[in-house]
Amino acid sequence: MTSIWEVIDRTETGNYMEETDFDLKIVAKKCRELVKEYDIRYDPRQIITSDDSLADDVFEAGLRLALESGIYCIDTKRVVRFDEYELKEGIISAPRRLLIGQNKDSRILYARGIEDDRPPIICGGQAGAAIPEEWYLPMAISYMKEPLVDMINNGGLAVVEGRKVRTKTPLEIQATRRELSMLREAARRAGRPGISFIAAESSVSAMGDLAIASERYMRRTDSHLVALLNELKTDFDRISKVVNFYEYGAHNVTLVDPIIGGYAGGPEGVAVCFVASFLLGRAMYGSDFHVCHPIHFRYMSTSAPECMWNLNIVGQAMARNAPFIIMGDVWTSAGAGSEMIFYETAANTITNVVTGSHPLGVSATNGKYPHATGLETRFMAEVAHAAVRTRLTRKSANAIVVELAKRYADKQGKPEVGKPFPELYDTAKVIPKPEWYSTYLKMKKEISEITGLRL
Amino acid sequence: MSEAQLYEELANAVYAGDDAKAVELSRKSLDAGIDPLKAINEGLMKGMSRVGDDFSQLKIYLPEVMLAAEAMKAALAVLEPEALKRGRASVKSKVVIATITGDIHDIGKNIVAMLMRANGFEVYDLGRDVPIDELIKKAEEVKADFICASTLLSTSMPYMEDLIALLKERGIREKYIVMVGGGPVTREWAASIGADGYGDDADEAVKVAKDLLLRRGAQ
Repeated sequence: MTSIWEVIDRTETGNYMEETDFDLKIVAKKCRELVKEYDIRYDPRQIITSDDSLADDVFEAGLRLALESGIYCIDTKRVVRFDEYELKEGIISAPRRLLIGQNKDSRILYARGIEDDRPPIICGGQAGAAIPEEWYLPMAISYMKEPLVDMINNGGLAVVEGRKVRTKTPLEIQATRRELSMLREAARRAGRPGISFIAAESSVSAMGDLAIASERYMRRTDSHLVALLNELKTDFDRISKVVNFYEYGAHNVTLVDPIIGGYAGGPEGVAVCFVASFLLGRAMYGSDFHVCHPIHFRYMSTSAPECMWNLNIVGQAMARNAPFIIMGDVWTSAGAGSEMIFYETAANTITNVVTGSHPLGVSATNGKYPHATGLETRFMAEVAHAAVRTRLTRKSANAIVVELAKRYADKQGKPEVGKPFPELYDTAKVIPKPEWYSTYLKMKKEISEITGLRL
Repeated sequence: MSEAQLYEELANAVYAGDDAKAVELSRKSLDAGIDPLKAINEGLMKGMSRVGDDFSQLKIYLPEVMLAAEAMKAALAVLEPEALKRGRASVKSKVVIATITGDIHDIGKNIVAMLMRANGFEVYDLGRDVPIDELIKKAEEVKADFICASTLLSTSMPYMEDLIALLKERGIREKYIVMVGGGPVTREWAASIGADGYGDDADEAVKVAKDLLLRRGAQ
């Protein structure tokens, strides 16, 4: 593997380039050319594809993009490139199995295959959201007390001790430490003291992250996300996070979230960009696993059909050619308390587990509102396990997902945003209120009938 | 080539992001004695309008929008000075836009900026991680109508409040229409900090900007 020292050197010595040229003349141009050359096409009737050659083409195009583009360092305006040997070394050395968490709460996080019949690892929480400090603890417990939830990725804090947290100020340190302290406390109260976290979400620059590299906050069996910026870019804040965890020994995780409609183009270009991002993320950040988060330029949600197609084809492309451990985000337009969230969650989750990724969510309302609870994550876990138990094939999963998407696709522009956590849960007992629980039971029955899954 | 054909060709050149063609046709229209303002409105603007519509429906993507905006800019450099000479230049509304302090996520802001240009606004894009006083300074310098701030980070949202507070403190709040947006920003929050406008997405941001401008004009 290319050492982090070498990576830092290359941010100073790589080719100099204006950022707009990298966006347009490298990323946009090459994505467009590769999509055309490999004849990669998105078909909305095939959200889950059964064509292995399409997955292989996406992988090959992505590998070529990674080789030809490299990663742009915004701070130095230089392009960090990796050769084929280095990228392939990254593939060969990538962990296939990883121990996360501690003692009875530890789990083996593994690289899923296509139509894999092993139970997936369920990562629960409203990742990406700003969660009010006063609810943070019960909300985190609501996920951790779900027996099917294996690990946690909850949101960050935007207010700490009544003070609004501003990026790159001392409060970012306070917020990140408070987030980890509350997650630890929640884990103890839920009887899951060793549960693994993907955390430090309050650290948007490197400041907070640097302050939690201690067993008191973040353990070495925990992980943090290091994003690739849109598209195929990074900066010294991201690289500082990587360096910090290299030395500390916890897991670096690449968060990849290309935008459909952005520089990489449509769904096809974004799929190529995803593969390149995973390969480059492994080479540059030394990431142990990766998060797949396609963004729809208008709806954001990963449950939009174009996004699910991406989760599908990227998951398959990687599983067949570079079996990385991948978690696929489940970000819904709708919020907890609504019926719509169940359709989105079911479609998105089935797509993930059948095509090579573990589900991570439910990040309701795309993290815009703290309208999320442990209950919809329970549903996500139940769907994931049922899909695997039923041994859904890609073909049968596609029919189900296309049908489910019809129930919500035209509502994603104006979704049912639901209600805040305290209106849906008894926050003292941390149990769902009767009305929300009834909605869950009703929708579970309905989706069981639509999908044929025994939930 | 008839006048109507020339407008159509100008629109097509902008749509295709062909700056050389857009410039060539602009010169041709001046040589033919066509009113430059008409060439702008009937040709360039119609091309950009098609770009905006197709981008909204994901028929084309951000790179195509950026190339079209470049073609439009190149053609305007030919047509606008002539329109000014004839006293026929339209007054454009000016927008100062940036991703606010602490945040480097700029793709959403870029999309809004492009669509605003496509809809005839004169846009000054200051980039990302821009301190609020720089936004205000630029707005004062260019006599802007709008100050637009974007962020994907909830921890950069307080800087939007600071922006409005600083405008008030300096006694210039009423000079500007302030719009905010971005992933974690909500309509309710925008209203709570006293912003004038908010868009759930780039399309809505442009619509809201136009409405606010009309309302201001009516006052």
